[in-house]
Amino acid sequence: MPQQALLLDSSLMNCIICNCCIILHPSREHKKRRRLQGRRRRGPGAAAKMPQVMVVARNFMDMVAALPAAKLDMLYDSAFICEAVLRSFPPLAKKYVIQMLYVSAPMLAAAMQEWVLDEYASKHKVAIDRLLQLRVFVEVRDRRKEVSYKMNNKFQANMQKYLVSGGCLPREPLPFSVTGRLPTLVELENYALDQWECFLLQLINSSQVEKGTTFSSSMMKTFQRGLLSSRDGEAAKLSENGFQFLLMETNAQLWYIMREYISSAEERGVDPTDLISFLLELSFHTQGAAYSLSTLTEVQRVAIMDLMELGLVKLQQGRKDSWFIPTKLATNLSSSLSDSAASKEGIVVVETNFRLYAYSASKLHCEILRLFSRVEYQLPNLIVGAITKESLYGAFDNGITAEQIISFLQQNAHPRVIDKIPIVPENVTDQIRLWENDRNRVEMVLSHVYEDFPSKDMFEQCCDHARDNGYLLWEDAKKMRLIVNAEFHQEMREFLRRQR
Amino acid sequence: MAGGDGDRARAPKRYKSSAPSKAALVDETAEMNYADDFDDDARDGDNEVKKRDFTKLELKPDHVNRPLWACADGRIFLETFSPLYKQAYDFLIAIAEPVCRPESMHEYNLTPHSLYAAVSVGLETTTIISVLSKLSKTKLPHEIIDFIHGSTANYGKVKLVLKKNQYFVESPFPEVLKTLLNDDVILKARKAPEDCLGASSSFAVSKTAGEIASGHDLLDGMELAAATEDKETHSFEIDSNQVENVKQRCLPNALNFPMLEEYDFRNDTVNPDLDMELKPQARPRPYQEKSLSKMFGNGRARSGIIVLPCGAGKSLVGVSAACRIKKSCLCLATNAVSVDQWAFQFKLWSTIRDEHISRFTSDNKEKFRGMAGVVVTTYNMVAFGGKRSEDSEKIIEEIRSREWGLLLMDEVHVVPAHMFRKVISITKSHCKLGLTATLVREDERITDLNFLIGPKLYEANWLDLVKGGFIANVQCAEVWCPMTKEFFAEYLKKENSKKKQVLYVMNPNKFRACEFLIRFHEQQRGDKIIVFADNLFALTAYAMKLRKPMIYGATSHAERTRILYQFKNSPEVNTVFLSKVGDNSIDIPEANVIIQISSHAGSRRQEAQRLGRILRAKGKHQDRMAGGKEEYNAFFYSLVSTDTQEMYYSTKRQQFLIDQGYSFKVITSSPPPDEGPNLSFHTLDEQLDLLGKVLSAGDDMIGVEHLEEDSDGKALLKARRSAGLMSAFSGAGGMVYMEYNTGKGNGAKKKDPAKRHTLFKKRYT
Repeated sequence: MPQQALLLDSSLMNCIICNCCIILHPSREHKKRRRLQGRRRRGPGAAAKMPQVMVVARNFMDMVAALPAAKLDMLYDSAFICEAVLRSFPPLAKKYVIQMLYVSAPMLAAAMQEWVLDEYASKHKVAIDRLLQLRVFVEVRDRRKEVSYKMNNKFQANMQKYLVSGGCLPREPLPFSVTGRLPTLVELENYALDQWECFLLQLINSSQVEKGTTFSSSMMKTFQRGLLSSRDGEAAKLSENGFQFLLMETNAQLWYIMREYISSAEERGVDPTDLISFLLELSFHTQGAAYSLSTLTEVQRVAIMDLMELGLVKLQQGRKDSWFIPTKLATNLSSSLSDSAASKEGIVVVETNFRLYAYSASKLHCEILRLFSRVEYQLPNLIVGAITKESLYGAFDNGITAEQIISFLQQNAHPRVIDKIPIVPENVTDQIRLWENDRNRVEMVLSHVYEDFPSKDMFEQCCDHARDNGYLLWEDAKKMRLIVNAEFHQEMREFLRRQR
Repeated sequence: MAGGDGDRARAPKRYKSSAPSKAALVDETAEMNYADDFDDDARDGDNEVKKRDFTKLELKPDHVNRPLWACADGRIFLETFSPLYKQAYDFLIAIAEPVCRPESMHEYNLTPHSLYAAVSVGLETTTIISVLSKLSKTKLPHEIIDFIHGSTANYGKVKLVLKKNQYFVESPFPEVLKTLLNDDVILKARKAPEDCLGASSSFAVSKTAGEIASGHDLLDGMELAAATEDKETHSFEIDSNQVENVKQRCLPNALNFPMLEEYDFRNDTVNPDLDMELKPQARPRPYQEKSLSKMFGNGRARSGIIVLPCGAGKSLVGVSAACRIKKSCLCLATNAVSVDQWAFQFKLWSTIRDEHISRFTSDNKEKFRGMAGVVVTTYNMVAFGGKRSEDSEKIIEEIRSREWGLLLMDEVHVVPAHMFRKVISITKSHCKLGLTATLVREDERITDLNFLIGPKLYEANWLDLVKGGFIANVQCAEVWCPMTKEFFAEYLKKENSKKKQVLYVMNPNKFRACEFLIRFHEQQRGDKIIVFADNLFALTAYAMKLRKPMIYGATSHAERTRILYQFKNSPEVNTVFLSKVGDNSIDIPEANVIIQISSHAGSRRQEAQRLGRILRAKGKHQDRMAGGKEEYNAFFYSLVSTDTQEMYYSTKRQQFLIDQGYSFKVITSSPPPDEGPNLSFHTLDEQLDLLGKVLSAGDDMIGVEHLEEDSDGKALLKARRSAGLMSAFSGAGGMVYMEYNTGKGNGAKKKDPAKRHTLFKKRYT
């Protein structure tokens, strides 16, 4: 009676070591197959398969578009939101809106199709899709089932009004006589970035935080959701997504946080629509001007405290009045990501000896580098580290991939090395990849051991059966033991029963 | 000053992370050789423990224009793209030890030794601090300032002078001499003045012209202060046998009054002049000029070490130095072949007359004629302690009795410290110049050189020389050869622990990769290839299978010459297999490809030395300049079997070259899988056959080659296949690079004749 036992990892390792069986050293064919797979994965279709940067809605408008129709229509009560939406459209869609602005009758879709040359049909489709998504255009079908598009009434009315009379904010900047000297734009930007960095440091649970923010821990948890992963009993660590998040530029990060902030609004008893409209409104305020807090609604007033923590606004207290000053972060909110890709100057120099020099005073940068390198020296404007096998293994353990690290090093390359080809020395990138590959050589297969066969015949039959089905992992004819993939276990049992 | 002391203590500690175990080992094996450790990377261990946070340093407003940062623990970072780079580099190389010098950012360490070197080339404490602070982006940490003050306060106050074959300790400050004499070692070494036996505290007083410092163009407007007034000098004589002890007592780790050795050769009227000039066609390159200017900075000759990569023209520096001093010169080389080469270099570059130069080896016992001359010999010839022939006894006697103007020492890194001691105590020289390519720094024995010869005067930057086209631009590659299943299974077996090395070297994939590379370079590029293997079994097996000539220790001189001649001149012979004998001594300027199939554990120096074999620049100068026609004109392949010890060693070995800015490209798919049966060992049967041979080879067959220098200095390199501990071969036992084993002359380690290989028994009985 063959005894069946669950294969423990250690026993698998044993047989790997003494027999260096296929698991550690895939046969040639196996390897070739792998290589082919690898190549395929890197092929042109790769983009679709590769895990995209999914953590962020690329654009505020994607989030707006995802709102239910009724809420969306409500948003269009505000002329500012209409304008923000218009601004976010691709050029062709913008043109259609302007074209249709004073057309009240539905326009036949087929007719619109003819507005563009055939080769631009795809652009046309993108534009129309976007317009429909945001309910700026509404689909109408006539009796002959022909599709026509009509502009959203509210949107149309608001835009018409806006065009004639211009927009005006619900509040005016406070005069100099009230506020006195306000921070300069540079000071404001520094303030905003400091706040933001401080928030990020807290977000990734860094021990480097000097001053905490006032976000409640539950709110912080909301933000951290998806960025940190915690195993039981361990301190939460940055996950793969979290690392990607850190590598994104500030605006993209801001979007991610804003989205989390808005989507969790309901838990706090706040209508997300209110928040969206307030945020969009905020983006039309003048950077650096002071606006009185008394003009805000209760919901907005709570929100502005949170925004202050993130560095979107600076709060100041006068003698009588108190006011908020929007920073660059706030006024950039409505612009889409692609526009705001004003490239930051890179900071990192990687040398052929695996040493890494980052021209930065930022603690956050230091924390990021610490994720995959060993930081050795910190100077006033320079961080010195080394990429080591150990540090990389630590990063891989946290789910950070070699490609992510390499692309971070490339994207943040210091201007001095940016013209070099390759930007990051080839031997370093190769080595990072090789170290990653090294970890993927052993693969765990859940499997079962069969031993104590009553006869050689029986053993061989079992072997053949498993081999024919392609589930035989290992056999030892001398001791009559074999290992079979766990998927095949049930079938194997049946087979043994039949043999008896 | 407390801070300074603390720091001084800290800097050497960096080395000590690995010291305790090694120190013991080094003592045991002291007679074996110059230690070449492979296991400690001081940087690694130390930095893990404490992170250095210097963010509080105050940044200067114009920091962008300044090239460097200095940390409180002595580490200095230098931007190479700064407009001030050249000046800053010259300055730093004078005051600090380079840690690594890749392309964009260099790292240096300030150590007491490096500051000692700085002071001895004439820099003063205040100059060091003011220049450093001018170059620094931040305000200098006070620890650094204290450290520099602390380390240099006593430097440059005491000099060691050789006059009329007697050694004197000189100082303008009698109180310093008194301090020194409070020390037992020095007191014992002192020779009581003959005339006034009682008064031991009085010193001989004389007047000397003060130094005239000039010729330093460190930074604009930073000319060094010139002290020109006459000074009163106090001195006492010491026993010539104790010189080295006295010098050691004076080093920073003891009394902290390091002695400068300078030779005022122009005013030396006692020793006869030697008529020699550099020939007009000998034009030293800029870096050679610079190294010479460091040596002759103040019109006198300083003792010290000049570090230039292999192939960068060290011999011209040596010959130029001799030509400037124009006194008798004793030139020491490592073996007879180099002796010939040095003699040739002297004749090539200088106008010295043939009768004024002589070689002294076991084969050539020449004597120069006239009052002064150049003698070229080996360390072994001078240090030999046994009975000599009558001729050599005479010559040695003359070497001993003469006051040499210059003691020129080649390859100072390979010679064991004890041999140095002997050589230096036997010969009396006014000035010592050591030349080397690889001063591997973590090694503690390097600090020996600091007092045996003198401070490091100059060290060239490899990458700069490559850019300037002075040495070849080498593409380094590490070729990963996966172990075949069968070999790996044997490798893992416990009973094969002694065969591990031969198993990974004989890995069929490695063989195929080697064969492929040889074929590629011979046929596609028409290159000349050297293949290095430490393991004799592998060397033989590879060479036989591929039908290539090989040279190892037991190859006779005639045979060697014949093979090398063919390699140089015949279009048929493009590949030669070399054992360790080729690491240093064999000069093969034609070769431009190296394939290394086995090596001595983690020896960084061996790696660098081997690379040096192909560094001599070839082709037209303009092609080699940055952006020239050929990007790479030399190739260095190191074949490693994956998943074996070799991988680990390989990383260690490369460290030195990586610190010099070289990068190793990893090649994983070699040989190309589509080569199939074009290469040997394609079928499993062939591979198993090979495996069988490896396994059946006796333990004595698979060892690493041991070389012996003949006690009488001839480069009689004997192969001894010895069955030793594998751990020793792989380096775990010794941490010592075993090229120069002791000859019998050194009295240590006689082999039991019974254990000696049968082939050599006859010779010894």
